[in-house]
Amino acid sequence: MAELKFLGYLVDKAGKRSQEVLLERPRRLRDLLPSPFPEQDIIILINQKVGNLDSMIQNGDRVVLMPMISGG
Amino acid sequence: MKGYAGKLLRVNLSNGKVATEEISEEMKRDFLGGRGFAVKLLWDEVKHVDPLSEKNKIIFSTGPLTGQALPSTGKMVIASKSPLTGGYGDGNIGTMAAIHLKRAGYDVLIVEGKSPKPCCLLIEDGNIKMTDASDLWGKSTFETEDILHGKHGKNIGILDIGPGGENQVRFAVVMSQKGRAGGRPGMGAVMGSKNLKAVVIKGTGTIPAADPNKLRELGKKGYDEIKAKDKYDWWIGQGTMQAFDWCNENSCLPTYNYREGVFEHSKGMDGEVVIKTKVDRKGCPLCNMQCGNVIEDSAGLRSELDYENVGMLGPNIGMKDLRQVALLNRMADEWGLDTISLGSCIGFLMEASEKGLIPEKVSWGDFEVAQKLIVDIGKGEGLGKLVFCGVRSASEIIGKGSHRWAMQVKGLEISAYNCHACPGMALSFGTSPIGAHHKDAWVISWEISTDRFSYNKEKVQKVIELQRIRGGFFESATVCRLPWVEVSFGLQSYPEYLEAVTGSAYRWEDFYQIGDRIYNLMRAYWIREKGTWSRQMDYPPDRWFEEPHSQGKMKGVKLDRVKYDEMLSWYYELRGWDQNGVPTKEALEKTGLKGVSKELIGRNG
Repeated sequence: MAELKFLGYLVDKAGKRSQEVLLERPRRLRDLLPSPFPEQDIIILINQKVGNLDSMIQNGDRVVLMPMISGG
Repeated sequence: MKGYAGKLLRVNLSNGKVATEEISEEMKRDFLGGRGFAVKLLWDEVKHVDPLSEKNKIIFSTGPLTGQALPSTGKMVIASKSPLTGGYGDGNIGTMAAIHLKRAGYDVLIVEGKSPKPCCLLIEDGNIKMTDASDLWGKSTFETEDILHGKHGKNIGILDIGPGGENQVRFAVVMSQKGRAGGRPGMGAVMGSKNLKAVVIKGTGTIPAADPNKLRELGKKGYDEIKAKDKYDWWIGQGTMQAFDWCNENSCLPTYNYREGVFEHSKGMDGEVVIKTKVDRKGCPLCNMQCGNVIEDSAGLRSELDYENVGMLGPNIGMKDLRQVALLNRMADEWGLDTISLGSCIGFLMEASEKGLIPEKVSWGDFEVAQKLIVDIGKGEGLGKLVFCGVRSASEIIGKGSHRWAMQVKGLEISAYNCHACPGMALSFGTSPIGAHHKDAWVISWEISTDRFSYNKEKVQKVIELQRIRGGFFESATVCRLPWVEVSFGLQSYPEYLEAVTGSAYRWEDFYQIGDRIYNLMRAYWIREKGTWSRQMDYPPDRWFEEPHSQGKMKGVKLDRVKYDEMLSWYYELRGWDQNGVPTKEALEKTGLKGVSKELIGRNG
């Protein structure tokens, strides 16, 4: 299983706060997300490392997708 | 230059003298407005004075965009020599008073001297009066505003203080509209020291603009663009509280006096809880993305929450329940106390108690004790006396190494972001021009999206870029930064706004130059007033360097002092300051500040 977690307005875009997906083979992150999904001003961390929508995801990965916020 | 009221109103409370002065074209061109005007006036007029003496002055300053029919322009800056830090102090506030001040024909109000008894300053266009406020003294900010509206009607702007300001708690703020606060470094205490309970402004004129038709068109376009943004609906739901979950996920939530970056009870008070408990939304004038979340507190009364006050009065002091946090927040607003400093002071006392450094039992998350502490702090009684002047002073009193976890820079308590694992943000707090505040540069998103753990030059450049935009332009224009930073409203709109308002063409490079001038002068002000200076003034507390997180994904992480020091050196280099953080003569003159350097000679510590 790979775990996807969404923060901020990306929860609305994904329609959920988190999701677990069973992957038979590594998949591009964007293929696991609803379309369209925001591409600008977002941060993607895969196992705490910076990734992008084309990063390959496999079982065991923890992916966090969050907006760039600016701390008030 | 158009777009300005063009006048400064000066009121001396000692002798009742009132004067109006022209604001020069050079002043408008070189300092823009708001913070820029404030620091120039303080530099010229407030030298080597006790911040709580009648010789100090308090400045209420608008900018060319204030009050224009453009997104989020209902703002002013309140500035003074800070009684908390002893340096330059200011804060912005969203208030109808900003709009009324300009309608009354003034860009700036300077209040000098000290009234012999509690007074209220009443400004009705050109008619200026000081009225007796003995009946208001001792009243909460909410009661004060109700009474003043009863006396003067609904269509006024009010700036007032609570008992905290009257008693000169060093982190007392100025309040408006029952929940708007400004002036963290003790601007409320300065008002209190002058016996000035409130300023009531009623302006009936028109705010000038060079091209009103163009402005109307730009305003409509701007408001529509903000509403159409992808993030808009989410923002309307949570406002700044969206940062709570975000900070917890990224281990930067201030928890147990900034020991940790994650809170085990975060689910009890995150943005989702706010959405479920929210009963109303509040905000500043002329804003269509209002950020104030109003919920009913545990006593059933309305309290306006944002991220900073929940962060500091929640996890930072171990509180688990949002409604109880809301009650503490409402008390702070009624007393007129800064919620960030208040949360830091209470957290400091809880840790001091836990370590056995004070005899009183002050446990993490103790709601009853927290309420009592707010009253004691507001009155300067009991344990409140210990933190009455902030955590730096408290640590100097109790000693025993407590300065290592007194969470402040330059005397101002740190805003609600833990930086054990955010070196860029630590630099931002270290170099913030009023002490540790987040408004000038908030760089955490950027550093997480690039290379969180690096201490590179690019990160330093980013901090300066943000300081130029947020601390330079937005604080001086004077307009809220949130449309840009929170819903990605385009920065390219602002030169257009300035041109339609003033009739002069601006590029962002011009704003950067103005921002650098303002930063140099704020730094020079600190150095002149302190009398000595060293790079130690730009360091965050030892806790972040010495005590790693013990929980969460950032377990074991802390800042590296040597690498921070290297970043600080780059920061000075890029700003043209020497290695003690003192602006060089060349840097000052490059930004048009001739004559300033001679007042800084021999100040290197």
